[in-house]
Amino acid sequence: MPVKVLIVEDNPVARSFLSRVVRESFSDALVITEARDLETARRQIGPLRDAAQALDPFKLILVDLELPDGNGMELLTELGAYPATKIVTTLYSDDDHLFPALQCGADGYLLKEDRFEVLVEELQKIVRGQPPLSPAIARRLLTHFRHGPGGGSAPNSGPVPLVSGFQSSRPVPMGRGAPLDHERLTPRESEVLTYLSKGFTIKEIANLMGIKWFTVNDHIKSIYKKLNVSSRAEAAVLASKQGLV
Amino acid sequence: MVHEVTDPARSPGLNTIWPGRTSPTWTGYPSQLGDSGLDSGAGERGAEQAPPAARWMGWRLRLLFTLALLGCIGLYLLIRAMTMAPHIAALWRIDAQGRIELAASNDPALHAHVGQTLRGATGGDAVVVLSDAPALQRSPRWIIDDAQRARQRVLHEQVGAVLAHPEVTLSFADGSSAESQPRPRGLLGLPILFWLLSAFALGLYLVAMVVPLANPSGRNLVYAVMALCQCGNLLAIAVECVFDFGLPAPLVRWDMPMRAALDLFTAAAMVNAVCLHPRRLPGSGWIALAAWVLVLTLVGGIAADALVNAWWQTQIAVIGLGLVAIGLLSWSHQIEPHPFAIVLRRFAVVTVVTWTLLTTALAAADRLPGLPYNIADVGSLVWYVFLGSLLLLVPFLARSQDFMREFSLLAAISTVATSLDLLFVSVFSLGQFASLTLSLFVSLAVYSGVRQWILNQLLGSSMLTTERMFEQLYRIAREVEAQPERTPALLSQLLGDLFEPLELNVVERRTAKTRVARDGSAMLVPVPLLGGETTPRGSVMVRFAQRGRRLFTSEDARLTDRIVEQLRRAVHFDKAVEQGRSEERLRLAQDLHDDIGARLLTLMYKAQSPEMEDYVRHTLQDLKTLTRGLAASNHRLSHAAAEWKTDLAHRLTAAHVDLTWTFVFDEDILLTVVHWSALTRILRELVSNAIAHSQARTLDIDFRLESDRLELNITDDGVGRNPRAWSHGLGLGGVRKRVKQLGGQVEWREVAPHGISCRVIIRHLLARG
Repeated sequence: MPVKVLIVEDNPVARSFLSRVVRESFSDALVITEARDLETARRQIGPLRDAAQALDPFKLILVDLELPDGNGMELLTELGAYPATKIVTTLYSDDDHLFPALQCGADGYLLKEDRFEVLVEELQKIVRGQPPLSPAIARRLLTHFRHGPGGGSAPNSGPVPLVSGFQSSRPVPMGRGAPLDHERLTPRESEVLTYLSKGFTIKEIANLMGIKWFTVNDHIKSIYKKLNVSSRAEAAVLASKQGLV
Repeated sequence: MVHEVTDPARSPGLNTIWPGRTSPTWTGYPSQLGDSGLDSGAGERGAEQAPPAARWMGWRLRLLFTLALLGCIGLYLLIRAMTMAPHIAALWRIDAQGRIELAASNDPALHAHVGQTLRGATGGDAVVVLSDAPALQRSPRWIIDDAQRARQRVLHEQVGAVLAHPEVTLSFADGSSAESQPRPRGLLGLPILFWLLSAFALGLYLVAMVVPLANPSGRNLVYAVMALCQCGNLLAIAVECVFDFGLPAPLVRWDMPMRAALDLFTAAAMVNAVCLHPRRLPGSGWIALAAWVLVLTLVGGIAADALVNAWWQTQIAVIGLGLVAIGLLSWSHQIEPHPFAIVLRRFAVVTVVTWTLLTTALAAADRLPGLPYNIADVGSLVWYVFLGSLLLLVPFLARSQDFMREFSLLAAISTVATSLDLLFVSVFSLGQFASLTLSLFVSLAVYSGVRQWILNQLLGSSMLTTERMFEQLYRIAREVEAQPERTPALLSQLLGDLFEPLELNVVERRTAKTRVARDGSAMLVPVPLLGGETTPRGSVMVRFAQRGRRLFTSEDARLTDRIVEQLRRAVHFDKAVEQGRSEERLRLAQDLHDDIGARLLTLMYKAQSPEMEDYVRHTLQDLKTLTRGLAASNHRLSHAAAEWKTDLAHRLTAAHVDLTWTFVFDEDILLTVVHWSALTRILRELVSNAIAHSQARTLDIDFRLESDRLELNITDDGVGRNPRAWSHGLGLGGVRKRVKQLGGQVEWREVAPHGISCRVIIRHLLARG
């Protein structure tokens, strides 16, 4: 069965360019669906409620942030429980734009101005679970987890309703035994983040910390998830406080 | 100048240098009751007292009310007595030869004799010959010669006896005579001067009562004694001016002892007061005691008629005591630079100098026959009014009543004018008119000079000029905006420059608005909330303005409030401008990025050749740098370096070039947009150049910033040769341009065994841009 891919992008030239990047990146048989705005994308995805049970969901979704009828982050938020790898494609490389996108559940980001080969490589990495993390975003992450939703006093803050449907959709199960871990980084993760924020590459960090390259990468993946989960938990707490849930 | 933060635990220590403050409400900060007694007399009572204090205030208020009522009743009785006194309905004046001349009269019997000289009067069997008539119009207090005073007393008694009869016959120099009936004057018959002086005396009496009752203390009691004595003096003058000639017998007998006593008591009380205020002096008790003993001895002597040259002795004693007071005030200021000492000393000097001038003038004029007696009387009268106004002014000094200040100044100058008039007449034998003109001229000159001097003293000659003031205001506004937590320190600095105080403390206490405390020696300025925060930040306490030479006035408080308001506005304005600018920049950045960026991207995807694609990519990256520079204001060096490294490593990895990155800095400075975007583009351009042309395997980037000197070396191991022969296109030309913009130099050279090294040196990175 061919793998379904959705590309949401308003610029037709960029759309076909990204299609080429996707085709170049994977050897599987692909069915690429293109959408030029949020509305078309939503139609293509169909009703979200039973997305998990849908027969043939999209496996990969590329979303542009700046769309004619809204921001790509809206779609990312709606797709919180959708079982696909979600990637933001953007021209904005600064943390002010990317960080919220990651919080909305993006699994990575591609900078549209990169060369074709670079994009192919980056896309493969993200799908393999090696998301990029720029120094600016690393700094933001450090601040987020230091002052973020649980802060340092998380264990006493009571049970936070997690989005259960979301967790089951994740390829890597979260630390279910310690539901509040999402609010804190492990010392190792903090260390990795600190190095990243200073501009060190993964290879350099592995050397500095005396660990394997893929261990560093695992930490980065874990940080990504914690960010997403923690912002979800934050939103859920906020929603329950406001009586929305 | 002391800039320090006073912590509450320490502040009660201030108490030790504030002698005489034993009020239980004292907490280290000036409380309403804890403020100086003289100060709190002026109406700040009421609002903030604790319940027990309120009970006391109630008690004292009742007493004050009773005393005020008593004063009014006393004045009423005096007025009533004056209206009952027998009076001949005629107006007299003294002619050039020193004789009494009938000036005008409503009595038809007397009207015919207008312009004639009075020689004597007969009433029943009492006869008086007015040979020494002019002496009658003088106050016994201001007759210098003892014998003359005794003669005057006899004359007064005779006149009194004549006027006691219902029918009085007045005989004139031309031999004619006229019958007249002395009648009570009635309310309307009292001279205006009497009303003015009585009103003034009543005001002084009320202040004399309010001050010690508001805060019963030794100093305030002494002040009350001074004020009451002057009140007595003014009333005595008022009474004397009612009678043309012939004072009532008891007044004739006791006028000299009583008024001399009042003057001497005032002087002794003044010495006593400066012993206690602004600070208690060492041995104050003994000094005060000595002054009082001296004064009481003198008064006893005068009362018993046992003193020879009583007038002289009184005058000299007053001058002596005045000089002692001046000396004590100087001493007090040396011990503690309380500006009140300076102000009081200034007052004392003026008082003593005018008193001495008056004494000299009267003594000189007394030698001459036919001297203008009424000028002498007016001189002393004006001096008393001056002293009275000074006494009224002292408790309200910090509240700065402009009117009172001008009034007492005018009174002082009038004293000088009359004294000079007398002096000119007596010493230089000038005509009356010439002397009057000259003395007025001199006094006006002195007045205008002194007035300016006093205003300068009060407002501070070394006050900031308006220009500097504004400059500082805006500088501080910018600093406050950058660091709101420094507001108290910056405000202290501003106030320090404005008032040159000896002490500047930040205290916890809050006040709603700026207020003068402790007799005007201190001012409490609330720290404004400028940074948008909500928690109040206490106040700045400024003490001893102009290095302890000036008192704070309520005008200073108003000025400070206005300055703080201006500061607030400046900060708000700055913020609004900054916000507007950044919003505008953001919008511009957004538009550029969205519109041009999208177009460039399309262009890049459609590029026909890899060169074209790279060219557009660089353009796009430049655009992004530009928009990012627009959107962000400052970049920390370490953050920028991390991004540079990631970006360059990303690109070099794609080009299969290894990166060696060395980044050394001694200070993590904030790069401005100009620095950041220039350095970003220099790095990117140089790396692009190496990737495009050098075919290098490794690229070495060495960035050093030490003591504001930046050195950047980018070395490749490629095939480049002879950099002098390169044609500098858009890329390298751009590098040159940006390095020059930062005030630095750039050079390329070959390195062994092969490759090109580019060195950028910027000697003063932060000095530019």
